[in-house]
Amino acid sequence: MEPTRNSHATLVDLLDRVLDKGLIIHADLIISLAGVPLIGVNLRAALAGMETMIQYGIMEEWDKCTRTWESEHRKARRAAAISGEEVLLEIPGSYHYSQGIYTAWRTGRIYLTDKRLILYNPSFDEVLFETPLQGIKGLTLEEEKCFTEKARKSLCLLLDSGEIARLHTSDVPGLKEAIERRLLTLGLSWQQIPGLSLQDKKTASFLIGGEEVLCQGETWHLAISHSQGIAPSQNWQHGCLYLTNRRLCWWHDFERRLEFEVPLEHVVHSILVTNECKAAHTNNRKKVLDVIYQGGCGKEVVSFSGDHLMSWERELNRIVSSEGIATNRYPELADPQEEIGSDAVLQAPEQKRKLN
Amino acid sequence: MGLETEYVDDTKAGQGQKNKVKEEALYLYCVADGGEQASLGAIGISGHEVYTIPYNDICAVVHHCPAQPYQSDNQEVMKTWVIEHQGVVDMAWKKWGTVLPSSFDTMIKGESRDGAEQNMKDWLKREHENLRNKLDKVRDRAEYGVQIFWDPNVIAQNLMETNPEIRELNKEIKLKPKGLAYMYRQKLENLIKREMETSADTCFRVFYSRVKKHTGDIRVEKTKKAEQNLQMVLNLSCLVHKDKYAGLGEELSQINQMKGFSVRFTGPWPPYSFVGGS
Repeated sequence: MEPTRNSHATLVDLLDRVLDKGLIIHADLIISLAGVPLIGVNLRAALAGMETMIQYGIMEEWDKCTRTWESEHRKARRAAAISGEEVLLEIPGSYHYSQGIYTAWRTGRIYLTDKRLILYNPSFDEVLFETPLQGIKGLTLEEEKCFTEKARKSLCLLLDSGEIARLHTSDVPGLKEAIERRLLTLGLSWQQIPGLSLQDKKTASFLIGGEEVLCQGETWHLAISHSQGIAPSQNWQHGCLYLTNRRLCWWHDFERRLEFEVPLEHVVHSILVTNECKAAHTNNRKKVLDVIYQGGCGKEVVSFSGDHLMSWERELNRIVSSEGIATNRYPELADPQEEIGSDAVLQAPEQKRKLN
Repeated sequence: MGLETEYVDDTKAGQGQKNKVKEEALYLYCVADGGEQASLGAIGISGHEVYTIPYNDICAVVHHCPAQPYQSDNQEVMKTWVIEHQGVVDMAWKKWGTVLPSSFDTMIKGESRDGAEQNMKDWLKREHENLRNKLDKVRDRAEYGVQIFWDPNVIAQNLMETNPEIRELNKEIKLKPKGLAYMYRQKLENLIKREMETSADTCFRVFYSRVKKHTGDIRVEKTKKAEQNLQMVLNLSCLVHKDKYAGLGEELSQINQMKGFSVRFTGPWPPYSFVGGS
């Protein structure tokens, strides 16, 4: 390996030596004692980088220049991110990013161009979210509690991928209107989707394309764990039960994932039972909804507890029979007729969004 | 910052202040291994005439100017001065073989040019033994800069493959449910960070001793922020005999070929890092 002394590439090496090192005169007659370190710092700052400069507090002018340059540059970069497109609306905003267990509102600038909707962060030159306008299949405004516990509006976009994107900005209705206006100009059709509840956010993460939620509700799920040598232990877990047009599934709030799912054609029957033993530790409720389904090793039972169990039972059995699956009654279990008196006033499970 | 604002470019630098007693000075580039009186021509900073002040078997390489340090807000001007300073030192180095380079803006003053020259001579006389020793120490030697960098991504990847503890943990993560996997990933990151630090220490020791055996003297410099995604793990100034530098180059080539490592090898420089102190 040969050493280099190419003057440009090694300028910093040269400065390190000429300014910091070298022969020192110990004499009263030296004049530059005060001057040297100043010059050294000043010159070094010019070449070493911002940290040093700020550290010595001598680069205010430079800093100002740099900021001006940066803001010019930013404009140029913005132009690069959306070159060739006409910007119809530019507004600071944020996008609800969710990946695995990580969720966050990522902020940047929302650009509505003639072709796309983009959220761009100029500081990091990063496109946080983008969709072609053709990809927008539906829009809705949603009220939700943000982290400050204040209700605020955000804009939900249903994309053709089945994903739901959430955007927030100071003027959400204005943004929605601008997008709709552009969609109209482009001759694109979209849907006004009814407002979604907070709960619905979860569904976006597990719904398969074309799948829609028919019913959903807060429920407890009985988890039974088998460990060797010990009697099986049971544990009620909190979450949300979903009945979609394809599956029955239960979302575990704590783990933030689907803990249980079964295709509808495998659901055999659901029945509301009074089971002191099972129900023992679930909010003093004595009723349990047992769903019998075709599992990997024959018929299996999964138990849920919570509100509106009768409605769940009815809905499930309706689906099962309409699927043409034989419905078997289980006469040994409690007679559902008994329950009607007390449960009849309960509301049906919330009717969920249908994208029509 | 009073001085700076007054001397904003090189045309003003070096001019005496009006309401002060006018003093003259000699700007010192280096002390050279030769007792002759010589003129090197107008090769100095801002085209100053460079000449020597001899004493016994050594001389000071200087130019004459008003007693004001060179300062400027203009970075291009400053850069040019430093390169001019280095140019004179190089010239003297070539001419006399051995030099003790001085820092930028090292000047000795006097009431007149003659006075300043006398003061310089007195200084050479007073410091002769010390300067003579230093000259002997750096004779036939040059300074080289050696900076070794690593690419943290490559090193971390390597640790993932070779470190049993990290490998095990990485395997475990894949079996964990999402929430737990997150915690495990944090743990893994911390572990990798710790191992990287240990690894950097080891690299430092190993590379230091590998480089040191080719040098006569060595200085450990502060590591600096590196360009791109690299990290500087070692920054050395090495005093190397002119017959030995090929061996150092060979050693550095080997390090340069190691996966994830790269070397910056600069020089030969006049021995700036080895002439300070007394």
